[in-house]
Amino acid sequence: MEEQDTIQKAISVLPPRLRRQIWGLSRPTLERMEEVRLHVGRPMSVLTDGTELELTGSPVTGMELEQLLELASGASLHTVLSQLRQGFITIEGGHRLGLCGRVVMRDGELINLRPLSSAALRIARQVRGAADPVIGPLCPDGVLVNTLILAPPGAGKTTLLRDLIRQVSDGRGCRPQRVALADERGEVAALWNGVPQLDVGRRTDVLEGCSKARGLMLLLRAMGPQVLAVDEITAREDVDAMLTAVGCGVTLLATAHGQDRGDLERRSLYRPLLEERIFRRLVYIEGGKTDRAYRVEVLE
Amino acid sequence: MMRALGAVLVAFGGAWIGLRAAEELRRQERALEDMVSGLALLEQELELGGLALGPMFCTLSKQVSGPARDLFAACGRELSGTDRPAFPVIWSRLVQKLPGLNREARRTLSLLGETLGRCDGRSQQQAVAAIRKQLEELRRRAGEERRRQGRVYQILGLTGGAFLVIMLM
Repeated sequence: MEEQDTIQKAISVLPPRLRRQIWGLSRPTLERMEEVRLHVGRPMSVLTDGTELELTGSPVTGMELEQLLELASGASLHTVLSQLRQGFITIEGGHRLGLCGRVVMRDGELINLRPLSSAALRIARQVRGAADPVIGPLCPDGVLVNTLILAPPGAGKTTLLRDLIRQVSDGRGCRPQRVALADERGEVAALWNGVPQLDVGRRTDVLEGCSKARGLMLLLRAMGPQVLAVDEITAREDVDAMLTAVGCGVTLLATAHGQDRGDLERRSLYRPLLEERIFRRLVYIEGGKTDRAYRVEVLE
Repeated sequence: MMRALGAVLVAFGGAWIGLRAAEELRRQERALEDMVSGLALLEQELELGGLALGPMFCTLSKQVSGPARDLFAACGRELSGTDRPAFPVIWSRLVQKLPGLNREARRTLSLLGETLGRCDGRSQQQAVAAIRKQLEELRRRAGEERRRQGRVYQILGLTGGAFLVIMLM
């Protein structure tokens, strides 16, 4: 039932003909469907387990892509332009719609995409319990300590971060704490009409669409968090904001791209965090989608 | 007695036709006025930029009157569904059904469907402003026509009725 609801929300932005085609797929395919891909002049295709399957049927038309954008934006491109500039639109259910076409710029900023040429609808699925194996080691006295999740792109950092936030916020496996999440691109909580579409816990405040560094400082001042969470530290300003936050007695929960601790030591961006001994736990994600495993390193 | 009654009825009938023709001109001018006010509000709302078109139309429909209210309310309703035609089709269909507007006003207003909701806020605002100016011009011309023709229609109706009475008597 939950799966059907997930699919229903995801494909609600597709034009009726394409929606009907998706509902015609077998149940196992629907359950494993990760993406719906549309290219003008080619039939629709779906991505399952990393394999693209082209469906039979008439090719997708430009009008259908226009209708897709119209349904995803509530016929209001102006309300989703800032999201589109970040690369995708978040729709109800936390699903993400990426679009390609001819970019129209004004004063160096994207103001339109017309005509559209292709689209990718990524179906968001929450992995509840993803953090179960690590919540214990990350909360030695029942309270979360400063933690950095380290893994290469696509390894599942955001999935783990989201579930850790949920468990800390709801007090599952640890004492409940107020969490503030700086979700710059809306990938963790996926706010839609002010409601997180992915469960990040009852005591979590989400700030979306704001740069991570600024967001962290805003959250620190505005919401009085006990834990500050941020996905993908990529800039010096993010690190500076985190150092300030730690100085205010807040616990940090963050993710970064990298293979191992050596990666962190080599990159000047992360060096201040290591030198200041900010993090007490490093979580590595190993293996692929089917054999994912977590390893926790204690930094004392 | 019957003759006098018939004469009065004919005289009133003639006057009524003249007044109706003059009233129709007034109605067209008023409809254009309402539409211009509605578009001015839409322009303001787009400048603020926060709302999606559906809720925006619903909110605005409570602040305007005449055909603008009908158009905005119907747009707000239609945009709430997912099994619906594209917005330009909806807009064009609703504009064609609006009462009180002549063909030129409808054609002008229809153009807006291609831009609303399909561009950034500034471009939409500029398009609404351009259409509003065109409708303002149509309203000005309708006002002039009403002043020029309205009285003529009224007098023609009254004199026509009187003429008929004289002829029939």
